[in-house]
Amino acid sequence: MGSSHHQELKISKFEAPQALKTAAYVGVFIGLIGVVFGLLKNPERMWTSYLVAFFFFASIASGAMFFLAVSYAAKAGWHTSIKRLAESFTSYLPYMVVASIVLMFGFGYLYAWDDPTQAHRMTGGKAVYLNPWFVSVRLLAFGLGSLAFKRLLVGNSIKQDQTGDVELTHKNISGSIGYIAFFAIFFTLFSFDLLMSLLPSWYSTIFGIYAFSGAIQSTFALLAIVVVYFKNSKFVSGYITVEHQHDVGKFMKGFTIFWAYIAFSQFMLIWYANIPEETEFYLMRSHSGWLGVSFGLLIFRFIVPFLALLPREAKRNDANLVAVSILILIMQYVDIYWLVYPNFNDGVPQFGFYEIALFVGFAGLFITAATKFLTKNNIVAIKDPRMHESTNHHVTY
Amino acid sequence: MGKKRAIGGIAGIFLNEHVVVNAAREVRASGFTKLEAISPYPIHAMEEACGIKRSVIPYVTFISGFIGLALAVAMTYFISVTDWPLVIGGKPLFSLPAFVPIMFELTVLFAALCSVGAFMAFCGMPKISSAPPIHKDLTCDKFAIFIPENDTGFNFERAEKLLKDLGAVEIKKVMEF
Repeated sequence: MGSSHHQELKISKFEAPQALKTAAYVGVFIGLIGVVFGLLKNPERMWTSYLVAFFFFASIASGAMFFLAVSYAAKAGWHTSIKRLAESFTSYLPYMVVASIVLMFGFGYLYAWDDPTQAHRMTGGKAVYLNPWFVSVRLLAFGLGSLAFKRLLVGNSIKQDQTGDVELTHKNISGSIGYIAFFAIFFTLFSFDLLMSLLPSWYSTIFGIYAFSGAIQSTFALLAIVVVYFKNSKFVSGYITVEHQHDVGKFMKGFTIFWAYIAFSQFMLIWYANIPEETEFYLMRSHSGWLGVSFGLLIFRFIVPFLALLPREAKRNDANLVAVSILILIMQYVDIYWLVYPNFNDGVPQFGFYEIALFVGFAGLFITAATKFLTKNNIVAIKDPRMHESTNHHVTY
Repeated sequence: MGKKRAIGGIAGIFLNEHVVVNAAREVRASGFTKLEAISPYPIHAMEEACGIKRSVIPYVTFISGFIGLALAVAMTYFISVTDWPLVIGGKPLFSLPAFVPIMFELTVLFAALCSVGAFMAFCGMPKISSAPPIHKDLTCDKFAIFIPENDTGFNFERAEKLLKDLGAVEIKKVMEF
């Protein structure tokens, strides 16, 4: 409604608020303190916090790449005016590669497969697959591969801002299809290697999709917050409207349902078959403090966001959408935490300095990368040939 | 919508999508409220231009989905606890995780069937009309705005002038619609 009255299309150079920049630097500093302090005092706790925060931001950066790739492959037009915002998330990928190399130093604290005395737990072909060198190669392949695809897709998009060459949009289609295939394989392996192998005797073939569903849901949650911010900001007018916000909200709600569907599919089959080596995973998470976290995931990651995003107006209301997005981002953290921590302390969930320090450290890196990207480039892909579709976008009811 | 008696009026034929959206808006602004816009395909912004309010079908969907969910809970409980208790795999008689797929499916089934039913009821379908079409090209490449004769302040000359001024290339008097 009201879409017939178009605002004047205008963008100006983005200048990140000083408070945000300072907060990001302070966050990185706190993160570094956490790492140094942790290495000296409590390396296991430091590395588990590191793994959760690392996976959280790697998921969002990869999820943003996936969103861009799917949109290119589907020749979507509606997202053109907000695609630069998703592109800004991918500027974290170089940091992700560095952080994954750092993570390799923590293998010994995190994974049984890095410990030769635990070799008896690696049955079948697992000893070969979970050889530390092989894991490191896959981790690097995921990071460098993502970076290469990012250079292609985002690079072409930025080049188009200067040249306005329509051919670049066509070129991105094949790159996107390549990325989707790459992502399907390597993100699955990424989640298997980093999260599932924490308990090397356990396996679940749907685990990659579980990690994927949460990653995409939280990517849209962050994108929704950024879209609402820019919709109301002075840097851009006319391009980013409530219609784009509504569609991002719809995607977020769709993936909320998808997450629940996948989480339940994994749970029900394991619960029903009740095979000891599979049930182990849920057994660890269904007693003492962890049972509450498990139910918390069901309630705050599915039921509450589902109902809170159901009405049309709920997705068009800034305060409501941002509140639900923040809840989803928190629950994405809790979800990864729930996958990692029960393997280390079977009993009471612990949350304290290390978790906060490492999270704000990674958040600082992410915010710095994204705001630098948006300051350096136009915040809207002005010369994209599908821009007229996006500025005239209108969600019917 | 679903009225038994055919109604007459006046229709203006338009050639351009943007013109017809604007015309719908102007016709409504001039005081007619019962206008119909006819187009070969859905036009974005037309529902706003014609002043069509949001449908209540989503509420029907939500409530019927909820009824489906409640029925599924009742049905699985009745079958596996009351009517024919059977221990399967050493699990409790009422094992919620095993019944969630049934609850999900019945929720979806009820929501979907009731939405289709409500859609047909609100549209008065199936509607078999013997009224001749206003213009045969309205299913192909032309657009029309129809103002019924029972609209407030309807006056044939006034409506004709209004539609012509808004860019109608042809005016048709419609006997029944």
